[in-house]
Amino acid sequence: MDGSATPSKNPNGASKFLLDLPSKGLFSSSVISSNLGGMRVYVTDHDTSPPENQVIKTDQVNILIRSLLLKQQQKGGPTSKGAKGVGTNEGSRKRAAERAADGRAPAKRAASTSQNGSRKEGSKSQIPENLQSLTVERLRALLKERGLSVKGKKDELIGRLRAAATTTGLATSSAVQ
Amino acid sequence: MSTYNYVVTAHKPTNVTHSCVGNFTGPQELNLIIAKCTRIEIHLLTPQGLQPMLDVPIYGRIATLELFRPHGETQDLLFIATERYKFCVLQWDADTNEVITRAMGDVSDRIGRPTDNGQIGIIDPDCRLIGLHLYDGLFKVIPFDNKGQLKEAFNIRLEELQVLDIKFLYGCPKPTIVVLYQDNKDARHVKTYEVSLKDKDFVEGPWSQNNLDNGADLLIPVPPPFCGVLIIGEETIVYCSASAFKAIPIRPSITRAYGRVDADGSRYLLGDHSGLLHLLVIAHEKEKVTGLKIELLGETSIASTISYLDNAFVYVGSSYGDSQLIKLNLQPDAKGSYVEVLERYVNLGPIVDFCVVDLERQGQGQVVTCSGAFKDGSLRIVRNGIGINEQASVELQGIKGMWSLRSATDDLYDTFLVVSFISETRILAMNLEDELEETEIEGFCSQVQTLFCHDAVHNQLVQVTSSSVRLVSSTSRELRHEWHAPADYSINVATANATQVLLATRGGHLVYLEIGDGVLVEKKHAQLKYDISCLDINPIGENPNFSNLAAVGMWTDISVRIFSLPDLNLITEEHLGGEIIPRSVLLCAFEGIPYLLCALGDGHLLNFLLNTTTGGLTDRKKVSLGTQPITLRTFSSKNTTHVFAASDRPTVIYSSNKKLLYSNVNLKEVSHMCPFNSAAFPDSLAIAKEGELTIGTIDDIQKLHIRSIPLGEHARRICHQEQSRTFAICSLKYNQSSTEDSEMHFIRLLDDQTFDFISTYSLDQFEYGCSILNCSFSDDSNAYYCVGTAYVMPEENEPTKGRILVFMVEDGKLQLVAEKETKGAVYSLNAFNGKLLAAINQKIQLYKWMLRDDGTRELQSECGHHGHILALYVQTRGDFIVVGDLMKSISLLIYKHEEGAIEERARDYNANWMSAVEILDDDIYLGAENNYNLFTVRKNSEGATDEERGRLEVVGEYHLGEFVNRFRHGSLVMRLPDSDVGQIPTIIFGTVNGVIGVIASLPQDQYVFMEKLQTNLRKVIKGVGGLSHEQWRSFYSEKKTVDSRNFLDGDLIESFLDLGRTRMEEISKTMNVSVEELMKRVEELTRLH
Repeated sequence: MDGSATPSKNPNGASKFLLDLPSKGLFSSSVISSNLGGMRVYVTDHDTSPPENQVIKTDQVNILIRSLLLKQQQKGGPTSKGAKGVGTNEGSRKRAAERAADGRAPAKRAASTSQNGSRKEGSKSQIPENLQSLTVERLRALLKERGLSVKGKKDELIGRLRAAATTTGLATSSAVQ
Repeated sequence: MSTYNYVVTAHKPTNVTHSCVGNFTGPQELNLIIAKCTRIEIHLLTPQGLQPMLDVPIYGRIATLELFRPHGETQDLLFIATERYKFCVLQWDADTNEVITRAMGDVSDRIGRPTDNGQIGIIDPDCRLIGLHLYDGLFKVIPFDNKGQLKEAFNIRLEELQVLDIKFLYGCPKPTIVVLYQDNKDARHVKTYEVSLKDKDFVEGPWSQNNLDNGADLLIPVPPPFCGVLIIGEETIVYCSASAFKAIPIRPSITRAYGRVDADGSRYLLGDHSGLLHLLVIAHEKEKVTGLKIELLGETSIASTISYLDNAFVYVGSSYGDSQLIKLNLQPDAKGSYVEVLERYVNLGPIVDFCVVDLERQGQGQVVTCSGAFKDGSLRIVRNGIGINEQASVELQGIKGMWSLRSATDDLYDTFLVVSFISETRILAMNLEDELEETEIEGFCSQVQTLFCHDAVHNQLVQVTSSSVRLVSSTSRELRHEWHAPADYSINVATANATQVLLATRGGHLVYLEIGDGVLVEKKHAQLKYDISCLDINPIGENPNFSNLAAVGMWTDISVRIFSLPDLNLITEEHLGGEIIPRSVLLCAFEGIPYLLCALGDGHLLNFLLNTTTGGLTDRKKVSLGTQPITLRTFSSKNTTHVFAASDRPTVIYSSNKKLLYSNVNLKEVSHMCPFNSAAFPDSLAIAKEGELTIGTIDDIQKLHIRSIPLGEHARRICHQEQSRTFAICSLKYNQSSTEDSEMHFIRLLDDQTFDFISTYSLDQFEYGCSILNCSFSDDSNAYYCVGTAYVMPEENEPTKGRILVFMVEDGKLQLVAEKETKGAVYSLNAFNGKLLAAINQKIQLYKWMLRDDGTRELQSECGHHGHILALYVQTRGDFIVVGDLMKSISLLIYKHEEGAIEERARDYNANWMSAVEILDDDIYLGAENNYNLFTVRKNSEGATDEERGRLEVVGEYHLGEFVNRFRHGSLVMRLPDSDVGQIPTIIFGTVNGVIGVIASLPQDQYVFMEKLQTNLRKVIKGVGGLSHEQWRSFYSEKKTVDSRNFLDGDLIESFLDLGRTRMEEISKTMNVSVEELMKRVEELTRLH
């Protein structure tokens, strides 16, 4: 082992490198048989679907938006903890609306709109589950729809919306955080 | 109409793309897992060798295959990703022996450009995440949680667009990838990135290395203690890590595959593009890398994957030749090679071209493929038949007959094997060591030829020689009684069963004896008009020891006669017609139906239904089995009676669903056969062939048998000429001896029996053989080989010059009789109305075969048709021409005789990139395209408008998952007119992965039935890894994905026969058809291949 960087010209050079090849006792028989039985063709008649949570999908959020959201979260610190994770979800929802592709996000949306329909609230847009992540403008639009005051800080707007939601019994428990 | 097609695999893929070794089936079991494109094979490593376990079909083309072990698991899991962006994680359940799905998913992205260099799938050595590189500029991460479960995947932007390889580094606190890429100045670099799972982004890695070898193409991560990565280039190998950089120059070569030898990563096997195997050693002092060394070990097939197994044994998987099991020897052999090839696993891929021939003129097709590439190129002869598993063999010349005998009447096994020669008889017996050795039966006459032997009742044996019949005790081996033939009346033929002997002497005398305890009694004698050629008294009635009928074949009047026994009265006489005498007759019963089989001297076989009470012969059928006299013998295998017809084309005759079927036996000329069921070799046959006596067992099912003819060069086109009994191939040979690689192209002529090169025509420099055809022209009865070529100049994008060469075979030599220059590559040649139709670049051109004044011939252009991008594949039928274009799908042209012009009639307006076309019938054309799909289009001659008539309507679509290179009409099985499947037209196809498949056009009612069965089977037979069959078979291209239609997956349908009884009943119930009926109908289809 001189560390030279040229291939060895010695014709027997490989022998010393072939010493001590790893062995676990397999292929140890003196006669290696070529006929150790046939190959069974596998026919699967059991259910091959994976465990429920192991059907893996790709996060459909645009990489740029995702990184912005992640940065925002990190900046926001502990106060916006609730937004974490759900924020990305919201982003995906926005994207999903533009997108005809399948995936979890559109399915969810479809489900939520149908819920909405059953509540006979077709004229008003639903109050999103997480108000914290919405922009002030969007919150004001929601308030306007409900004929409420659009003045005040973001937190006040949210408070007003929540109050409206609970009084009409529309808010889901998850929305109250 | 051939709208409804059934696609089935006759020969599974054999191209090995991936392999890995790990503890998959159990913590203590070491497995070799091999991926063959759409199948994975699981083998177990044992002290005796590789033991095959399971062949698992995968509903997808495997893009990556990795074994890994999440924390807390005792055995490895298998990660598979398919080319259609599905992935699954499989686990072996040892309790149920099933492969279960741990996780699966779809990893496709809506936007993204698929990578040029193939998909990359890698798993972090510490099992923190799975990394996938599927689209340029994106790296997909599937993270593991701490319980080993997979979480939602996400993409990371990867700056490098031209990625050549990505691997995970060992021993990093954070998962770290190393990326080998090419920049826009074509320089190659490596870069490392840490994957931050929290930020879902890359963080600049610990090191990078710029400006590597221009041919750097492969990364090998080095495990602890060294860590780092090996970068394999074409001229250098570099070891790179955060702290070290070592390089060595190598002989210029492209490394295709590597296999790690030691767990500590100090030695690697590298396989290059010319099949040379090198050992790469990391020289080190303790944990510090001091240098690299490389040693040539020897030559293997061109490797696509290398797996070190154990104890110096290595599996070399190949895409271009046979895969191999090799052993690395400590000392080189005489040629200086350390590699010993222990086993070759047949690989037909890539099948570039093939032809279907019937060399034995039996009505059974054989496929001769151009297989392999580069130095591993070969021809493969693929035929369907029954194989013999040879157990033992000895050299013995001049065997005239063989019989097996028992040492006691009620013995289960045979002890003696009587072998008769022209002037002696030898007796072989199994000794205590289970070896066959010569012995003696004192009562037998061993100085003369034996005509017949049989076990008889009361522990006796019968031997018939030309002068006498001897009855011998099988216990004391002494002669008990002898019947002498009258002087001048030597015995010509004889037969016997346990209680009866029938013999024929010179002059047409028929003598009937019965066997008693120690006595032979002459019961009856008859004088026939002519000499007797063959006899049989095989009992087929209720008494297994006594026959009521005797079959007798006659010389002179060429007849078979049935006599009653014991009174020896003639009850039936059947004239065979023709001039060929019967050489062997046999009474036998298949599935309870009695038959008389009668084999003629010219290799034909007649069979009759036999009425055992009246002796009447009905339902005469004649088949050709070979060209030499046939000897018929019965034998039993798995408690069923079969008949072995020994001749130059040995055949097994058996019965299924009350129909006689004939299967080739994969042996050359067999002169005699007798069953030899000894204790050491149960259920075996003794077979006399070509100066050799072989003992072997017979396969219970017929399957494809493959004979290899290694060429040492790459055959690209093949065709057969009946008249000269030759094959002609276009081939190319690579010369890598000099500094510059060069290619030589040839037209070679091969004998169709020996496959020896008998003549060669060298093409010019840069001239490629593109097409080859055997044809004859109108008003010229000679058969010609026509060859189309192209001059492929390095500076041209498309060839602008080519030739059509017309050869004649004279005295086994290729004689050039005419040549015609063309303005492009001659991609296809077809015989067309006594003329020659050539596809030359974008043009279809028709040539006449003209006689010149001086008596020589020349090709003269008659007319042509423009309008293709590249007319690559052409088929003709009548005046119709079907063209498969490079990228414009299929178009239909017609030749108009009056005008002498070719016009376009219709086309398919889809943009399919074609790889093969074929005409199924007048209206339906079949195409294969480069996204591994099949489709059929229909001519719409009844359309109301020109526009409608000018459109080929797509009627069938199917994802085959295989790249088809050639379609040919024909069949791999013997098509007997009396079988149901004999009427179904079939097409054979050959693919890059070595698949030989059959496409059968079913009648509509059968199609509808089978489609229903397929739908039901989809519910019962689930795709491994949760992959869906419906999605897999859907037509898939960049532009569209649509469900398959008018094609059926025969592989799925035929797996019905492998289901358990309860599952079959389930399906039978939902389909309202009995299980037996279903099995019968599926079995019928299995007989198509």
